[in-house]
This record gives sequence, structure tokens and C-alpha cells, in this order.
Amino acid sequence: MAHELYFEDVNVGQNLPKLEKPPVDKNQIWRYAGASGDFNPLHMDDEWGQMAGLGGRIAHGMLLMGFVGQAVTSWVPKKYLKKLSVRFGGMTRVGDVITVTGTVKEKRTEGGKNIIVGEVIARDQKNDMKVTGTFEAVLPNKPA
Amino acid sequence: MADKSKVGKQYSTPPWEVERCKIRELVRAIGDPNPIYVDKQAAIKEGYKDTPAPPTYITVPANWQSQTEQFMKDLSINYMMVVHGSEEYEYHKEIYPGDVLTGTTRVASIVEKESKSGKKMDVITIETEFRNQSGEKVLVARTTMIERK
Repeated sequence: MAHELYFEDVNVGQNLPKLEKPPVDKNQIWRYAGASGDFNPLHMDDEWGQMAGLGGRIAHGMLLMGFVGQAVTSWVPKKYLKKLSVRFGGMTRVGDVITVTGTVKEKRTEGGKNIIVGEVIARDQKNDMKVTGTFEAVLPNKPA
Repeated sequence: MADKSKVGKQYSTPPWEVERCKIRELVRAIGDPNPIYVDKQAAIKEGYKDTPAPPTYITVPANWQSQTEQFMKDLSINYMMVVHGSEEYEYHKEIYPGDVLTGTTRVASIVEKESKSGKKMDVITIETEFRNQSGEKVLVARTTMIERK
């Protein structure tokens, strides 16, 4: 059975399944650098991060957006996702444990399209906000 | 300080071929176990033509083609003073391995703002529209960068 999500089964106020990531480590930051092509020394080099007053290297903001994308598309099938946007907040450092939560904020039918809009937040183990975002998806109707 | 005369300026990005292994590398780095991104059969079962690109894939050509560095240079932005403010994607069509993407980037706005503590900064918004080899619009990306002064 394909993973499905029907408009009728989604309610405003509903929470997305919470995504808890393993602690961010240096290896993940290196891998993300290679995969994404972002080798900014702020991510690669602790000394550089110290010099920039960040207390060491920081994770890529886009890695955090990747976590948000993972959280959203493990619930809304990717093919229904129409928009994803994030605003970057605090820096993420080695050892941080990121949790992504989300809530459906809006549900409407417009021009024959079943639209849902949700909010997502990524926080660390101290509950500090790293990223806030929104997503929009167009869902099918439940077969009669 | 960002050069405001460049608002509205357009740039074309060279064609970028989407590779299956680059998609795999990205989802592995993120740690996203969703099989649709790596397993063609699983993807087909879920209604895709092939393994689709994950939501943040477009950052890959943006970085590897050094687009960001080029803008910053052209817009006279000081790399050391820049932070990534926000990122927004509009998805129009799935992106699949083998697709060839071409982007048109526009400097949408450069706005001076003041932080709560009274420090001045420029907020630079860049919009890129990506089309595939059939000329179909697949994705629009909006990036804001904040340059502290």
C-alpha cells in the first residue's frame, strides 16, 4: 500500500509526528558539506568558528532545513508538497539534539484544490529555537 | 555593503544534470530514511516516475555551481558578514535523476533594516526559477541573506 494522506483525514490543530534526530556530529557536518557543496569554513573548521566568535564550528542552516523537509515529507507525501519555507534562528553546534515538531494551521478548498498549511519548528535539547517554517500541500480527497 | 543598483539584475545558471547518487548523498547526510529518495521501485509504488529529489535538493546545484559566491562578489557583499536569513521553495513539478535544470536568478530586493539593538543591516532577497529540459517550471527558490554592516 502506498503511503497516502487524504484531505478529509487532516484537521486544523493536528500535530505532525515528532521527528527526533540523533545528535549532530562532525561526521554529519562533513557529509552534508560534501553532499551539498557548501564548504564554508564556518562549518568545516572549529578554529574558524572560534575566530568568528561562534565558539567553534556550526552546522549548515540548510542541514536543519533538511531535517524540516524530512519531518514534513515523512507525513505529507513529497508529491503533494507545494511550498516549504524556513527562517533561520539560532546556530546549531556539534552535540545538539534537534527535534522537529509541526502543527496544521489551516485547511481550505480553493479553485478545486484541497490546501493545508502547517507550521514547523526545530529546537535543540535546551528547547532553543533553531528554525521556524511553514509548509503548504495540496491533498487528494478520500475515495468514496 | 550590498550594491543596490543591482536590484532587478538577472543571471542565468549553467545547465545542471540531476544525478541519482547526488540525491542519495544528500538524504544520507540529512539522515532521511524515506525509501522514495533512493529506491526507484519504492518510488514508483508511491506514484513517482523515479526517485524524486528531496525538498532541499536545489541547494546542491546552487552551491556546486558557486552561484552564491558569484552574487556576493557581484553585489559587493562582504562574505564574512553574511548570514542566511531564510529559504523558501515553491514546488511545481518533481525533479528526477537525468533532468537537466537551468535557473534564472533575479536580485529581487535589497532593503536596509535596523536590528533591535540599533545595528544596520542589508536584507538581500534573491529569487531563482528553475526549468527542466522540457522547459517546464519545476521550482522557484527565494533566499534572503543578511549582511551586517
